[in-house]
Amino acid sequence: MINDSTLISELEKRFNDNKKAIAELEEMTAQLKAVNRKLEESESLKSHFISNIRNEIINPFTSIINLSKQIGSINDIEKAKRNAALIHGEAFFLDFQLKNIFAAAELEAGETFPQIYSVNVMSTINGLIESYQSNITAKKVNIIVKSSIPDDFTFKSDPGKLTLIYSNLLNNAILFSKEGGDIEITVSFEFDSIVFVVKDSGIGIEEDKMKLIFDRFKRIDNTINTLSSGYGLGLSVAKAITDMLNGTISVESRVDDGSTFTVLIPDVHMDTEATGTAIDENGMLF
Amino acid sequence: MDKYYLYPATLFASDSSYEVTTVLGSCVAVCLWDNVRQIGGINHYMLPLWNGQGLATPKYGNIATEKLLQRMLELGCSKSSITAKIFGGGEIIDTHISSFNIGERNIQIAKETLADLKIPIVGLSVGGKLGRKIIYYTESGKVLHKFIEKTLGN
Repeated sequence: MINDSTLISELEKRFNDNKKAIAELEEMTAQLKAVNRKLEESESLKSHFISNIRNEIINPFTSIINLSKQIGSINDIEKAKRNAALIHGEAFFLDFQLKNIFAAAELEAGETFPQIYSVNVMSTINGLIESYQSNITAKKVNIIVKSSIPDDFTFKSDPGKLTLIYSNLLNNAILFSKEGGDIEITVSFEFDSIVFVVKDSGIGIEEDKMKLIFDRFKRIDNTINTLSSGYGLGLSVAKAITDMLNGTISVESRVDDGSTFTVLIPDVHMDTEATGTAIDENGMLF
Repeated sequence: MDKYYLYPATLFASDSSYEVTTVLGSCVAVCLWDNVRQIGGINHYMLPLWNGQGLATPKYGNIATEKLLQRMLELGCSKSSITAKIFGGGEIIDTHISSFNIGERNIQIAKETLADLKIPIVGLSVGGKLGRKIIYYTESGKVLHKFIEKTLGN
């Protein structure tokens, strides 16, 4: 036989247990929600990535196919030339994007490594600007090159990787510049490194977005249809390659005041790959 | 026998006979060896964990070892016959990497990742104050190991 007070205290105890269980459950639910949010985020980034790739590859191809088809029925030579220029532009962009996509895949697979040659810095940079000439003309930007190294200056690095870093920076500078704006490229040799600075007069980057820009798949602007290569995969590729070449890449920017990207790539002395000094002749076998 | 120099943040695996050389300071190399298929693979990573930013390259221990195993499996290896050896992770004063205790954390992530993957560790030479030069023979899974005075950013 139980009396009332025992019954009440037993009920209180059970209520309290229940409350505790509910509190724990709520906490668990909150944790689950957080995990779920992260999963959704990564899922949407992934599908985002696929739509990015689709836009970046299929759209230029569609243009190329249509424009080249039209050329056959154009009698006006000037009009045909304009079409040819458009085809060149689309193909150039496609080539650039594919280079970034494959570079990212190779870097992530750990299959790419520095291939060191003597690089003529100024001819690399001038060649790059030359290849972007039609984009430069279309956007009416002025490229100003300031160099404090001789034209025949060479240093040891990986020319292909160097060109991809520089072309990503130049591409972004042109893309984000205002029409008729200046892009200033400064080249110097300091701290045993080639210092390459690109200053654009573009839209700039907000402070809190700045740390995101070297991130893959992330864009400042999340609208996927307008992208035409934003600060996307290209900068994360540039960052990973710069790391591989033992260099540094940094950005300074203010909204509406343009962005300045600085890349330092050190000269590779042939002893970097050297094996150090063995402290004794006896190796151990494992 | 072909020679291959393994750069930091890269990996290598082959079913033919290679002599793979790499130089380690605070970096760690994990050597995997499939005794049945006689296939060897090696990575060389610089930092323990990928933080989800930038590219997921084998510069990071957790990525590098899983990617290396993936490559081995693609070459026809079977996980149950793979064993591992770990090298490097010295406390080298290094201007390139400013983080504290990076060598020790690199070693730790190798052990944790291999334990998660249930790959037994059959040999290791890790830690200490010296750099290492190792030569990995992909045809035998053997590693020739020498201590060296200095390394440059490896």
